[in-house]
Amino acid sequence: MGDIEGSPGSSMHGVTGKEQTFAFSVASPIVPTDTTAKFALPVDSEHKAKVFKIFSFANPHMRTFHLSWISFFTCFVSTFAAAPLVPIIRDNLNLTKSDIGNAGVASVSGSIFSRLAMGAICDMLGPRYGCAFLIMLSAPTVFCMSFVSSAGGYIAVRFMIGFSLATFVSCQYWMSTMFNSKIIGLVNGTAAGWGNMGGGATQLIMPLVYDLIQRAGATPFTAWRIAFFVPGCLHVIMGILVLTLGQDLPDGNLGALQKKGDVAKDKFSKVLWYAITNYRTWIFVLLYGYSMGVELSTDNVVAEYFYDRFNLKLHTAGIIAATFGMANIVARPFGGFASDRAARYFGMRGRLWVLWILQTLGGAFCIWLGRANSLPIAVLAMILFSVGAQAACGATFGIIPFISRRSLGIISGLTGAGGNFGSGLTQLIFFTSSRFSTETGLSLMGVMIICCTLPVTLVYFPQWGGMFLPPSRDVVKSTEEFYYGSEWNEEEKQKGLHQQSLKFAENSRSERGKRVASAPTPPNSTPNHV
Amino acid sequence: MAAPPPALLLPSILLSCLCASSYGFILFSSLQKTLVVAPSNSTLLNNLIRFLLDEIVSLLFAVLKAGADDITVTWGVNQTLPAGSDSAYKTIKVKLCYAPVSQTDRAWRKTEDNLSKDKTCQFTIVSRPYTSGNNNQSFTWTVERDVPAATYFVAYGQSTDAHKTTNLFEIQAITGRHVSLDIASVCFSAFSVLALVGFFMNEKRKARRTQGK
Repeated sequence: MGDIEGSPGSSMHGVTGKEQTFAFSVASPIVPTDTTAKFALPVDSEHKAKVFKIFSFANPHMRTFHLSWISFFTCFVSTFAAAPLVPIIRDNLNLTKSDIGNAGVASVSGSIFSRLAMGAICDMLGPRYGCAFLIMLSAPTVFCMSFVSSAGGYIAVRFMIGFSLATFVSCQYWMSTMFNSKIIGLVNGTAAGWGNMGGGATQLIMPLVYDLIQRAGATPFTAWRIAFFVPGCLHVIMGILVLTLGQDLPDGNLGALQKKGDVAKDKFSKVLWYAITNYRTWIFVLLYGYSMGVELSTDNVVAEYFYDRFNLKLHTAGIIAATFGMANIVARPFGGFASDRAARYFGMRGRLWVLWILQTLGGAFCIWLGRANSLPIAVLAMILFSVGAQAACGATFGIIPFISRRSLGIISGLTGAGGNFGSGLTQLIFFTSSRFSTETGLSLMGVMIICCTLPVTLVYFPQWGGMFLPPSRDVVKSTEEFYYGSEWNEEEKQKGLHQQSLKFAENSRSERGKRVASAPTPPNSTPNHV
Repeated sequence: MAAPPPALLLPSILLSCLCASSYGFILFSSLQKTLVVAPSNSTLLNNLIRFLLDEIVSLLFAVLKAGADDITVTWGVNQTLPAGSDSAYKTIKVKLCYAPVSQTDRAWRKTEDNLSKDKTCQFTIVSRPYTSGNNNQSFTWTVERDVPAATYFVAYGQSTDAHKTTNLFEIQAITGRHVSLDIASVCFSAFSVLALVGFFMNEKRKARRTQGK
């Protein structure tokens, strides 16, 4: 399994692009099982698991899965822990609407940078230490919440806690060392979705903890500070579990990972160049900002919105807000599944249409949420909005692996950063100034989602076509080999550096949908009937 | 006697008189200036002057500490109105209301004319049945610990002018921070960092030892 090792942001190494999101296991003839290995799950020649048994904790594969997604979940809990308690915090610290909005922006901005750095850290220290370092060094920032006594302090602490969202990268990286690439799609999608659930769970956990502490006798303004010890301690506990129970590789050792000599090290500048000069990269960066980005923004504002608009109690608003984030448990994997299904019949065109439909529907329901005047309608609109946005996230990562083979890691990293950037931007525009109320902000955000999803119509692959245009008729340009080969220059091709890309190109022919059988034969190959 | 501190504002508080029979929506603008309320701060007793709408005001400044200070509210019918005009009142509710300066940029404290949606007055000082004819009833309220730091006022219509700039007072809230909490915070954080460093050094040492063998 050749990977581009060492390139920063290569957190998706091992992903070939052909993984079907709903594949739970890979049968033997396709990937041979190593029968000499003594693991609880069947493994391939690299000792990566070929089977994904969700409810098992078998060492090392499934144990890694659970340690990894729970760590990511914990970081989501602490990053959004303040959101359901804002009605109390805003009175304690005398916050204005712009303070609250700025804090929300700050909470998602830090991870733009930390996610980019995390890829390099995982390459250097391995994913186990990458994860443990981040989660344990961000624990003090969570405990710092108890010191905060002004708006500035509040914003600063939320910014620092937000760095911990880079555990997404260590999570995906760690999964790809443990699971075979044919099932990595489902594994990563599930880990990401379940981790994102933390944004929902926190809206339940924090008001509950706050309530308990208040009943135990603390005043409101002290109770919310004590409540932050819960996510803080979770950080420490998970960090210790990761260090004691986790391992970097199926066979155990970090050292071996770094001594792999048979992998060609690619030049970072080239990898970056091919990522940023591909216009599709930027379209997906924008799009992810309006699926994942709006999900994060909504995590930050929805509890306070329900509390104020419908005069609910704090924990009732928390329960409603929680259902938004918790929908991730099925919505995100569903998006990937829908994308794969559409690809089976319509190829890449199907994937693009599924993404556009899901994301646009999400935007429409967001508009409805802002305009809903009664509680039941608002809750319904919110749930439909959450399914649309989260499924769109899953569908986005159904397409990303096909944009580039050489620069896959960086493109994934950029897309992830785009998500956070989109979140910061929407919070800044719609939820920070007092120019419009939160309900108007939500509706306008819905309109912006619909507008910013339109660029997906511009995505065009010469070999597969786009949403409206058919594939190119040019015999040379309409092959997958040509598209993926064009990322390498002649010199590199002569050295054979592009072999992995060619292999990927062959596997990606499935993106032609039902037309695979009638694919034009590439030039210079023997015709069928001589 | 100490010289009175400069620029003081003496608070007075709105009465919302709710009749037992519900009127449906009650508008702020329709509440009549029939009752006059003057609160006094017991710790500044020496400097206290009672305020009546048609009398000259001399202003005193009071900064009240939540959890520690208290406000004494006294009320009685405005003597200039004909007797018997208060016979329809059943309950008297005295509320603490946010001044405009504490409402800017905070939509959750917005003033709406429709009383049922109004969020200006979020703290009830006292609510009791109204007995007419008995002037100068009073109530002493200790500012509670969950009252946020803000500037509070007088009220809409009753005893301040339309711009709500007179008769404002400030409450200094508790921060909610405690030394014990701060110490616990530092200890937990230190534990986290030290545990991480400890594990890392330990594993490095073990790796060096096995490599050296």
